[in-house]
Amino acid sequence: MHLIVGVKHVPDADTRLRVDPSGTTYDPDGVKFTINNTYDEATLEESLRLKDGNPGTTVHVVSVGPPRAEEGLRAALAMGADEATLVEVGTGTELDPLLTARLLAAVIRGIPHDLVLVGRQAADDEAGQVGSALGHYLGLPSAGYVTGLEVDPASKRLHIKRYVEGGEETLGMEFPAVLSILKGANDPRTPTLPNILKARRKPLRKVPVGDLLPALETWPGGAKPTSRVTAFQLPPPRAGAKILEYTSPEEAAGKLLAALREEAKVL
Amino acid sequence: MTLNVLVLTDQRGGTLKTASRETLSEARRLVERAGGGRVWAGLVGSGLDAILPKVQEMGPDSVLLMDDPVLKDFQAAAYAVAARAMLEGIPSPRVILAPATAMGREWLPRLGAALGTGVATEATEVVPDPEGGIRIRRTVFGGKATVSVALPEGSCATLRVNTFAADPRPGQAPVTRVPVPEIPKEARAISVESTVEAPRDTVDLTQASIVVAGGRGLKGPENFHLVEDLARILGGAPAASRAVVDAGWRPASYQVGQTGKTVAPQLYIAIGISGAIQHLVGMSNSRCIVAINRDAAAPIFKVAHYGIVGDALAIVPALIGALRAERP
Repeated sequence: MHLIVGVKHVPDADTRLRVDPSGTTYDPDGVKFTINNTYDEATLEESLRLKDGNPGTTVHVVSVGPPRAEEGLRAALAMGADEATLVEVGTGTELDPLLTARLLAAVIRGIPHDLVLVGRQAADDEAGQVGSALGHYLGLPSAGYVTGLEVDPASKRLHIKRYVEGGEETLGMEFPAVLSILKGANDPRTPTLPNILKARRKPLRKVPVGDLLPALETWPGGAKPTSRVTAFQLPPPRAGAKILEYTSPEEAAGKLLAALREEAKVL
Repeated sequence: MTLNVLVLTDQRGGTLKTASRETLSEARRLVERAGGGRVWAGLVGSGLDAILPKVQEMGPDSVLLMDDPVLKDFQAAAYAVAARAMLEGIPSPRVILAPATAMGREWLPRLGAALGTGVATEATEVVPDPEGGIRIRRTVFGGKATVSVALPEGSCATLRVNTFAADPRPGQAPVTRVPVPEIPKEARAISVESTVEAPRDTVDLTQASIVVAGGRGLKGPENFHLVEDLARILGGAPAASRAVVDAGWRPASYQVGQTGKTVAPQLYIAIGISGAIQHLVGMSNSRCIVAINRDAAAPIFKVAHYGIVGDALAIVPALIGALRAERP
C-alpha cells in the first residue's frame, strides 16, 4: 500500500508575527518555523501507524513551499516516512489554497498512491481546502473531518469515521481516496537520533515549481491563483479581562451574570 | 452592480442547520449591499419537503431543489456535481456561499476546484467587490491575524457559524426542481455504513452559541460534571482543554484547541484553563470570553473579557446555584 501525506511548513504557534511591508502577508524575518504543523504531525502519525500495521506499506511526504520547507520534510522522514518530494517555490511565487492543491495533484499523479492524507487545515492560513480539492483534481473520492480509519489492503476497502455536526458517520470507501484528518487520536512519535541520522540519507526530491506550472494551464483554475489576499492585519492587542472583585462566590456569580446580561448582552 | 448568490444549505436528516439560516440571511444582505441581484437557496439531499418552508422563511428569491435518494448522504464529489448543475440556471455575476460547517467546508473546495474559481474559508465579513466578485475577511493563525481576500466573480466562500444574524423574512419563493446530473464514478466509491447521532438533548460543540470548557483547574474527573451542569443550564455545550482529554477525564470529542475543535460562540466560559496558545487558537474568536482561574497571571486572562480569580470549585457551584434559583 502506498500512502502519500501532504505537509506544510508553517510558523510556530508561539511565534510573534509582524506585517510584511507589502501589507498582504507576514514578515518571515525572525519568525520561528515549526518542524511541521500540528495537524500534519497527527496525520503523519496516523499514516505511520498504518505502515507499522501493514508490512510493505510506504509513506511518501509531499510539500509545496520555499526551500526552508525541506527542514519539515526531513523531520517527517525522521519520524518514519520513506521518501519526500518538495515542490520548491520562490519567495515571489503567489499561491492560494487551490493552486497549492493543483501543484500537489500534479506531483502525486506521478507517484503511486492508494491513499492521500492531509491535515484538516494548515496552522497558518487555516484554509482547509487542499484535501477536498485534491479529490477533484485526482478524480478520487474524498472525505473530510476524519477521526479514525481502518484499512483492509486485501479488499482495497477503507472504513473511516468522520465528524459531522450532531454525530459521527462511518463510511466505507474504495482505494484510492483522499482523506483530511481532523485529529489523529494519537500522540505523534518523536524521532530518535538514529532515525534522524537515517533521514539524512532518505531520498528527498526537489521539483522546481516552474516544471509543473505549464501543465496546469489547461486545468480548471489554471497556473495562477484564483483568489488574492489584499490585506494582512494584526488585531489591536486586547485590553485583558475585566477582573470582577468579590467577597463571596455568590457575589462573584451575581456580578458575572449581571455583566453578561447588561454589558456584554450574551445571556 | 448586481450580484446573484447561490446559497448551498447544510441539512442532514431533514433538519436545516441554524448556520444555513445565517448564510441565507447574509446572502440577502450581500445582494442589498451590491445594489441588486437575487438569492437562490440550493437544497441537495433526499426527503427535503419538510425543510422547504424553513428555507423559504429566510427570504430567498428562488429555491432550487435536488431531491433524490441517491443524494441522501453528503458526499463531496456527488454534491459538487449537484451544485454545478444548479449553477446553470443562475446568471453571472454570481457567487456561491455556504455555512462553514463540516459539510460546507468540504463541499465548496471540491466545487471551486471543479469550477476553476476562488474559494475562501470561514469568512467573518462579506462585501461586494467593486471590481466584481466579493471581498471577504477571515482570521488566520488561530486568530492572531486577519486577512482580506478578493475573490473573482463565480467564486465560493463559506461563512463562519455563529457570526451572521439569522433574520427571517417570510416569503413564498418559488421552488424549481433540478434533475440529478450523472454522479461521477468516484462518488460511487464511497458509502455511509452507519451514523451515530449525538443524544438529542446535547448541543453540538461547534454550533453552540454558548460553550463551557473545563481544564485541569477542576482538579479531578469527579468535578467535571460542574462544567456539564453549567453548560446544560445555559443551553450550551460542554468542552475541555487538551490536558483534560489527555488525562482521560473526557473523550477527544470534547477537546477545543489546535488539535481539537475550533469554536467561536457568543459566550465561552473557560473554567480552570490556563490558556496555552494551543487552546487559545481554538476559541479566541469567541465574542465574549469569561475566565475563571485561581492563577491571576494565567494567560487566559489576557484574551478574556471578564475574569474571576478564584477557585473554580467554589465559583462554579455558586453560578449554577444562582441560575437554578432563577429558573425554578
